[in-house]
Amino acid sequence: MNTFIYSFQSEWIKKKGSAAAWLTLIGGCFVPAIILFIRMYEWEGLSVANQNPHIWEMLYNRNWEFMGIFLLPLGVILVTSLVTQLEFRNNTWKQLYTTPQSLTTIFLAKLAVILILLAEFFLIFNIGIVLTGVLPALFFKGVPLPAEPFPLTSYMKGNAKFFLDCLPIVALQYLVSLRYRNFLVPLGIGLGLYVASMIAVHWKYGYLFPYTYCAYNFMPRAGELKNKDSIHLLALGYTIALLGVSYILYISKKEKG
Amino acid sequence: MSHYCLETQAISHHYSSKAMVLDRLDLKVPTGSIFGFLGPNGAGKTTTLRLVLGLLKKQQGNIVFFGRPFEPNRVDILKRVGSLIESPSIYGHLSAVDNLRLLQRVYHCPEERIALVLELTGLADTGRKKAGQFSLGMKQRLGMAIALLNEPELLILDEPTNGLDPAGIIELRDLLKTLNRERGVTILVSSHLLAEMQRLVTHTAIIHKGKLLYQGTLAELKRSQQTTDLETIFINLTKS
Repeated sequence: MNTFIYSFQSEWIKKKGSAAAWLTLIGGCFVPAIILFIRMYEWEGLSVANQNPHIWEMLYNRNWEFMGIFLLPLGVILVTSLVTQLEFRNNTWKQLYTTPQSLTTIFLAKLAVILILLAEFFLIFNIGIVLTGVLPALFFKGVPLPAEPFPLTSYMKGNAKFFLDCLPIVALQYLVSLRYRNFLVPLGIGLGLYVASMIAVHWKYGYLFPYTYCAYNFMPRAGELKNKDSIHLLALGYTIALLGVSYILYISKKEKG
Repeated sequence: MSHYCLETQAISHHYSSKAMVLDRLDLKVPTGSIFGFLGPNGAGKTTTLRLVLGLLKKQQGNIVFFGRPFEPNRVDILKRVGSLIESPSIYGHLSAVDNLRLLQRVYHCPEERIALVLELTGLADTGRKKAGQFSLGMKQRLGMAIALLNEPELLILDEPTNGLDPAGIIELRDLLKTLNRERGVTILVSSHLLAEMQRLVTHTAIIHKGKLLYQGTLAELKRSQQTTDLETIFINLTKS
């Protein structure tokens, strides 16, 4: 366990000032910043809006609508590819493999960094949503703070679903980006699958495409799937299977670094 | 304690083209030596070093470090080895200190080692400058600092003088000699610079087209070839 912690700490230092770290920060702020700007621009209606008993639900849906369908899958594709790309770009795989840690530890530590970055992204995004509700009241006289108490539990549940639903994308991108030196390959595969999934999202078997799961959170049905909530289980299944394949391919590589 | 820090026992290797890159290579690096691994381009030096460090999957033969087979003892063995293979592996967006800090976590060695190896390699004044902005020579020095971070018993260096100016080459030679003499570090070094190797190594192996042509002390090699010039010996051996 200690070896894993040291390995994780080492991987965490690598992301300092990296494109993946900046993308997490900027990506998390992006949608809330736009919505905050729009709300403040149209501040005359805010007094009524903030007194709405469902204000937090409205803000949640407004923010997640853009994030869940579009930015989250793209962000996950980019961040996952960028984390592994650090080693290819700097020609550091060979150094990493000559350090005293097992290949399994390296695989899990890198994956852990991606997942923590994803959690950080969710945290920043949710803080952003809260600020879209609170900040206008601090800047404009006559605009009250949101009347509805903050629904922490429902926010947590909603976030957990999105987190779970984007894990198959993490797993597949991790698999691809560990194999290809050229950054454009995992990026192209990720974007290609994302576009294909968005086309397939209305198809009756669209739920078979793991990149559709975030979008299904905003749709009444998930293709012909009887229970829409089954997509979360499917997401989990895909994640485990893809990570398993990724691990096997990773440790059986003939040339390392 | 084994007499040899590193032994390869009949290792052979071929890439997908099927052409044999290494042919039953038996390398024996004596403990406490500075071992020059010499050969022309494409002789199989880097392939050998990559194989012994586990960067290439072994196809045939055995690799033994400190008297123990490499594969089942990989992690324990790598704790005792430092390496610099081909170009230095450096994270360009991080400072020299951060590059070392992230490895210090993995090796779990004292934090003071970072300042010490920076001082040893003449990089103590680089501050927060990103390693990507370093000159080639500075990057090579940082690669050396990384290799020395865990106080290795065995240093494996592939062309460590690449990118260094003449003063840097002399400094590196002095550093390696000091490490060998005062701290007992065994050094396996491959290089094309025969004149430089002649000044540095105690033992040598000459490899050509994947086959070992000579292995032993430098003094014995000179005696057997009846000349003191390593370049002449090298050309004679590889031509014949």
